[in-house]
Parts: sequence; C-alpha cells; structure tokens
Amino acid sequence: MKAGRKTRPRGKLDPRLPTSARAVVVGAGIIGCAIAREITRYLPDVVVLDKENDVACGASKANNAEVHSGIGEDAGTLKQKLNVRGNRMYDEFVAGLGVDFRRQGLLIVVTPRSVPPEVAEKMGPEELDELLRVKIPEGIVAYGKAAGIEGLRILNREEVLAREPNVTPEAVSGVFDPHYGLVCPYKLTIALAEHAVINGARVILNTEVTGIRVEDGEVRGVITNRGEIATGLVINAAGVFADEVAEMAGAGGFRIHPRKGATLLFDRQVTSEYVRSSVALFRMPGMKKERSKGGGAMPTVEGNLQLGPTAVEVEDKYDTSISAEEIEEIFERFHYLLPNFPKEAVISAFSGVRAPTYEEDFVIEASERVRGFVNVAGIQSPGLASAPAIVEMVMGFLHELGIPREPRPDFDPIRPTTPRFAELDDRERDSLIRKDPRWGNIVCRCEYVTEAEVLAAIHSLVPATDMDGVKRRTRTGMGRCQGGFCGHRVAAILARELGIPVTEVTKSGGGSPLYLGENKEFLQPGRSGHA
Amino acid sequence: MPKVRKPDLVVIGAGPAGLGAALAAHEAGLRDVMLIERDVELGGILPQCIHDGFGSMVFEETLTGPQYAQRFIDRVERTDIEVKLNTMVLDLRPDRSLTAVNSRDGILEIKPRAVVLAMGCRERTRHQILIPGYRPAGVICAGAAQRDINIEGLMPGRRVVILGSGDIGLIMARRFTLEGAEVEGVYEIMDHPGGLTRNLVQCLHDYDIPLHLSHTVTFIHGRKRVEAVTVSRVDENLKPLPGTERLVPCDTLVLSVGLIPENELSRRAGVALDPVTGGPVVDERMETSVEGIFACGNVMNVFDLVDYVTHTAEMAGRAAAEYVLQGRRRGKVTLRVRPGRNVRFVVPQLLRGDGEGAFFYFRVRRPERAVRARLVTGGVPLAGKKARMVRPPEMVRLKADPEMLAEAVSRGDLGVEVVPEVEGAEGHG
Repeated sequence: MKAGRKTRPRGKLDPRLPTSARAVVVGAGIIGCAIAREITRYLPDVVVLDKENDVACGASKANNAEVHSGIGEDAGTLKQKLNVRGNRMYDEFVAGLGVDFRRQGLLIVVTPRSVPPEVAEKMGPEELDELLRVKIPEGIVAYGKAAGIEGLRILNREEVLAREPNVTPEAVSGVFDPHYGLVCPYKLTIALAEHAVINGARVILNTEVTGIRVEDGEVRGVITNRGEIATGLVINAAGVFADEVAEMAGAGGFRIHPRKGATLLFDRQVTSEYVRSSVALFRMPGMKKERSKGGGAMPTVEGNLQLGPTAVEVEDKYDTSISAEEIEEIFERFHYLLPNFPKEAVISAFSGVRAPTYEEDFVIEASERVRGFVNVAGIQSPGLASAPAIVEMVMGFLHELGIPREPRPDFDPIRPTTPRFAELDDRERDSLIRKDPRWGNIVCRCEYVTEAEVLAAIHSLVPATDMDGVKRRTRTGMGRCQGGFCGHRVAAILARELGIPVTEVTKSGGGSPLYLGENKEFLQPGRSGHA
Repeated sequence: MPKVRKPDLVVIGAGPAGLGAALAAHEAGLRDVMLIERDVELGGILPQCIHDGFGSMVFEETLTGPQYAQRFIDRVERTDIEVKLNTMVLDLRPDRSLTAVNSRDGILEIKPRAVVLAMGCRERTRHQILIPGYRPAGVICAGAAQRDINIEGLMPGRRVVILGSGDIGLIMARRFTLEGAEVEGVYEIMDHPGGLTRNLVQCLHDYDIPLHLSHTVTFIHGRKRVEAVTVSRVDENLKPLPGTERLVPCDTLVLSVGLIPENELSRRAGVALDPVTGGPVVDERMETSVEGIFACGNVMNVFDLVDYVTHTAEMAGRAAAEYVLQGRRRGKVTLRVRPGRNVRFVVPQLLRGDGEGAFFYFRVRRPERAVRARLVTGGVPLAGKKARMVRPPEMVRLKADPEMLAEAVSRGDLGVEVVPEVEGAEGHG
C-alpha cells in the first residue's frame, strides 16, 4: 500500500474514469439513467456521466411526481404520443426496481371559472350551464379518445364532491382520468441508476462534459474535465444543458430556455387524504397562463399534499429559487380550487427548472450530421410519464447504431432494496433489530428513519455522499422539523462512514458545508466578544 | 416479540417536563414509573442551554440549563424510576397503550395505567414562514445552532443574520458573538421584540447588536451556501414594503421564528388539541380529553420560563399518581375558562372544580403598561395582580384558591383578563 492519507472507498462506485465504453450517456437524470438501464439489457458497457455529485440533481429531483396520462398535451405532438404510450408502460417500467408506483387518477374539475368571463357573459344561464355540465366534460372525453386515452369518466357535481370533498362547492361537473400515477422521481432515478450498475453500467459523478470528439462525421469520444472516454455512441440527456452538449458535437439546432416551477409541500400528518387523486381546474384552451402543464393539487407517494407548480421563465439554468410572487400565486390559485387547504401545514417548498425548447416539444433524434450522437432534449413535463416510451424510441436509434437487438441472458431483472422501517409492521421491525440493533436507532424522528437505512444509503451502489443524498434515499429531514433534530446525527454518520471530519460534510456537494469551523476558531484578539 | 409491559405510568419525554412529572408521580407513591426519552441523555433541551436564568422560582436562585436539569436528573437517579434512553415512542393509542422502539429491547409494547405527555416542542422552519429564495446550506433554526455550538463544539456560521427576536434568537446572537462569529443584526417582523426584556439587554444591547423591528427577510441568496439575504421593512399588515429592500451579505441565516408543541402522538391518541396553543386542551389537573392521559410543559403550550414547565409537570405527575392509586373518577367539565380583554389564551382551558386550587397561565395579545391581570367570574374580580408592563412573550400566572374556583363554578363563569390599573374596577367591552 502506498503511504499517505487513507481514504475509505465510497460505496462500490468506480471513481476512475474509464478510457472507453460502448455508449456514454451524458446526464444522470431520470431519462439518462433510464436509457442506461435499458442499454444494459443488451450490453453492460455503458457509462453515465454527470457533473453533479449525485444522480437526479436537476429537474428529476424537483417535480410533482406525476405520471400524466397525456390528456393535457396538445394533439399531434410527440409529447402527447410518448406520454400516452409511456403511461401505459409504467407498471412494467418500474417492475423489479423496488419503487412505489400507484395510480391515484386525476380529477379534472369544471367550474364557472373554467370559461373566460368574456365568453360566459355572452351566454344565457342555461347555455352556460349546458356548457359546463355537459359540453366541456364530453369534449374532454372525446379529446382523450382521439389521443388513445380510454376509460375517462364524466362525473356530476355530487360525484365530484363525493370523490374529493375538499374541492370548491362551485364545481359543476368533472372528468375522472384513472390513468394518472404517482412515483417518486428521484427515488426512481436512483433505482434506475442502481439497476444499471448492477448490470454493469458505471455511473461517474462529479464529472463535467466539456466536449464531444467527432471525426469524419462520427462520434469518437467524450471529453470531460477529468479526461476522455473513447466511444462511438453518445446519448445527450443533459436536461437544461442539452443544447450546450449538442452544440459541442455540432449536432444542435435547438435552444433550451429554462422555465422554473415552484411547488409547496404539506405535512402529511395533516394532509394525508386531503386529496385522494390529483385535482386540477379545467380551463378553456387559451386561458392557461402557464406554458407547461397547468399544475394542480396532488398527493405525493408518501401522502403529503403538494400544490403547484408555477411556471416562470428564467435566465439562469441554475435558478431554483422561489419568489414571493410564486408563493402568492399558488396560495391564490388553490384558495379557489380547495377553499380550506391548510395553509399553516406547509413544511417545504421546492423549485425545479424545466428544459423546454422554443417548439415546446421533445427533441428525440439520432443526429443526421453526427453519426452516433443521439439527442434526448426538450424533456420537460410530462417527461417523467413519457420516460418508458422515450427510452423505447431511443433504443430504436441505438439498435440501428449497433447496440445488439438480442437481450443478454445474464441481465438481472431485480434491484435489491433496503426495507423502510416506517413501512414495516412491528414484528418485522423487531426481527430486524434482533439481527442488527441499528434498525432500532431512530435517526429521523419525523419520518422514522433508522441508522441502518442511513448506512445503507451511504454504502449503496450509487452512494449518498451528502445530506441531500441521504435525504433523497431515506427521507431524513423531510418531515415537519425539516432536519432540525436529525441534521447533526446524519452529519455525524456521514463523517464517520466517509472518513472525513464533520466540517467537511456538505448539504449538496462542494461549496455547501454545514459547519464553517469549530468553536473559538473565528475569535480574533481585540475584536468583538467583550470576553 | 416480548410480552406487554404494564407499568403504572409512562412519561413520554425526559426534558424538564418529563423529569418533573416522573418525580412528582413517584413521590406521590407510584412505584412503577417508566420515563421514555428518544435522545441519548436526560434533560431535553436544557443541556444545550448553557446560559443562566433558570430556576429563579423553583429553586430561588438562577442556574444554567444543565444545572437546572441536573438537579432533577440526580433525584431521578436516586429513585427506581425506569429510564429508557434512545427510545422512541412510535404510537400512542386512545386506550393509553403504546409502542416504542430502541436498539436493545427492539419493539416494546407497553400498556400503562396512565400516561404523561411531555414531548416538548420543535422549532418553526423557514418553509413554515415561507421565506422566498434558494435552499442553500446555512439556513438553520436557532435551537439547532445552539446545539451545534454548545454540544458539538461546531460553528454553523461565521457572518450571521438572525431572523426573529424570540429568546433563543437573542441568546444565540450573544453566543455566536462570544465564539467569534459576527452577528450583523437581529430582524423582527413585529413592531415589538419577541423575547424577554432581560435577554434584549444582556444579549443584544451589551454586545452592540442592532435589533431591526418591523423588518423581515424577503429573499435567501446562494445556491450552495447562503451568500446574502435581502431584508425589507414591513407595513402594519406585516407585508414587505417595496423599495425598502437591503442586501445583507452573510453566510448564515438563523431563524428564531417560533416554537410548535410536538403533538403528533397526542393526535394519534385522539387527544383534543387547542388550535390557539397548539397543545392538548387540559383541565386544572393537566388531564387531557382522553382519560388517564395528562400533559405538561411545552407540549401543552410553549412556556417562557422553565419554572412554569416544572410547575405544570409536578401537577400532572401528582394527578396521574392520584388517578392510578385512587382510581379517581374525574368530574364533569364545569367551565371553559374564558380569555377576556387582552388575553390570547389561557391554560388550563377547562375547570372541573374538584375542590382544589389551580394556577392559570396566559399570554397577552399586545404589550400594555400599568395593568392589572385578574380572574373574574360574572364580572366580579376574584384574584389578580398588578403589573407595570405585560408583553406577549412573557406569560402571566395567576393563582386561584379552592374558594374562588367554587364561586366561579357556582356562577358558571371564569374569565381571565388584563385591565388598565387606574380603571381596574370598571367594566369594559
């Protein structure tokens, strides 16, 4: 062994940059990880690169977790086609990953505010009533049918309120779409990344792509800040940076203009069952203020109510801030749809940056100019829902470009998972504690997360290396105290397991230390303190 | 799994409330008392409160937090009270049965004859007050910062802005300064300070730390670590005034924006909660709406002084012991104590009038000078005391002896009110 400071291995991730790979995926969001996982069904030699220190650090960690049906998309778009198909594929997509997915459905509520006032004014009361009660719901169902979405049900006012008692009593009618689902987007991304790693993929983080080597119109390699990987296949799944990566290869031609969206999250003890399905107010076409999906009220997989998202065009691709105006807008908007929603039970607010192109449609193409370069860009909502169909479409190109069509016999369909203490019954809990007492050490008291789960997250195939990484994998700090009680405990475990001083533990990678020093360290003689 | 344990009493939480309740119950004759604490040591929040000012009523001297706690811990250690540390209560049911867990025992099923809720409170976070901006490292609640510095020996910040002038915020302003950090200022959205006067003097004034009333933080800057905050003046409706924004460079925002009683278990047990205090509705014996479940300390409402926490805890412990030992059937609720002029809430909220005296604790709605705080029944004063000044952060305590309560019961009314001292005897609307 070489002399010098001993560093502990951080999980089973290979930190070295491989010199070559059959395929390189740029971007470890939901799309990049799903594509990588799919490639490993056919061959193991795929690398996923991301400049952040974890997977799912962009829009994949900050969206509303909805698997849309496609009812909200414009007819004839690629988005709509892939959304409808992706939704149908979802159960199969998540099979074996150990990730919760459930179909809670969407209730589209029709009220007098569904129609612009200038349109309503021109109508007689009976005509307006007919529009709200019959014509709009029937129109929604017909629109769905044309897109291939079957099974939409028209509800009258009583049925709407029976299904969702907290919805505004101004509801006139509604349409229930049973296809809408919920999945935790970052847990799904982590699971896909791990599943890919199990099957041979390498997920290389903290590595920024700075160039694409193209020779004779063909991809030859990916240049990064840590060296170069020789490859003939590059899949550009770089989210808001996809336009920049495409330009590096000379395979661009689209621009991503970032649009952020803020969501408020509520204490699940207060809001579980506040809405059972997703709930959205129908607005006649042309009324929509937002360009991305209109947002709504919906539960999370865990049962927190969430309201949002907003849609605000921003300059900065890193702008995940939330403005006072956005908070006000959410409160105003949902005060109408859900008049009694529990404002005081907000426990968190988050914001993600969408990656739309100016055409507002997905850009999924094998570049005609650069052989071996595949763009998967402009993926914004319903990107999560469309992911399985996006992957399917991309694989079509990749098979053409040389990925074998024959699946590997040794592909492992199962990703092993760590149990979640909070979800076990007392007998199961007790037996785990008998085997390993760390299952009895509750680290996070709001979400009932044990030390054993935190350790599993830190030593997983795609390991958590900071507070947010542990949080996304285990829910530490996601409850009502937002880490006030468990923060120092998780930081101490991270420091111990990573073999670093606690002052080097970060919230979300470099530049985000929790502690700036030790006591007395900042004392200067003759300055302040009076002591 | 092990068989069900059946102690006389389980006290949930071993801060000053739980310690006081367990000791009082034990002294009242209960022999099988179990004290459950989820943290690694006894004392709750007190071990990190290394400043002094604790115990002037209970011990008639001022102690530090650790000293105050130690007096109770020493007493507990001389008893056979069963202490379970590192033990988390997972569930509490209306029949008083509970499930707890720790590393050594695994899952514990417990069915005590009485329960005292003493879970204390937690801090309100930035999202509960919805501060706009980014979500970087360096936004921390004052109590968590206090723990970092005083227990872990770690500095969560170097250039600090404090939002909220509650006591912990003020104490942390001094603490950060003494440890060599720079506190740029304390910002308070209200037009009056949130903490005790002595803390304003000893923690801010003595260290030349400015207090900016009617100000709040309106944006948190910094993607990875706090780089600055925007502060703004607010109008009389507490809305930020456009044009008053000021950018304050800092690496840390410390929040002292309120405490919330921790009643998740109370809710599971079906205990009725008071929307104003955020804690269980209790009677003068600290019994909740669920028979045999008592509450005390900050779980029932956030007290300003630990001495009051101890007083309520001792009452709850004694009452729980009596309940178990004498099989006492409680009387009907005869009165709901009525908050009157300039009174925001009163605890206990209910009066059964079982023949004993009681203490009533309350907070005023707004600061007022030269007043009389008093108990009244049907417009007739029962007891009261003068105060030169009352302020919302400082709780007021009034004692009622059995005769007064009997009179209130016979008249069917008990109110608590604050009236100007000069016209103290007059009626008012």
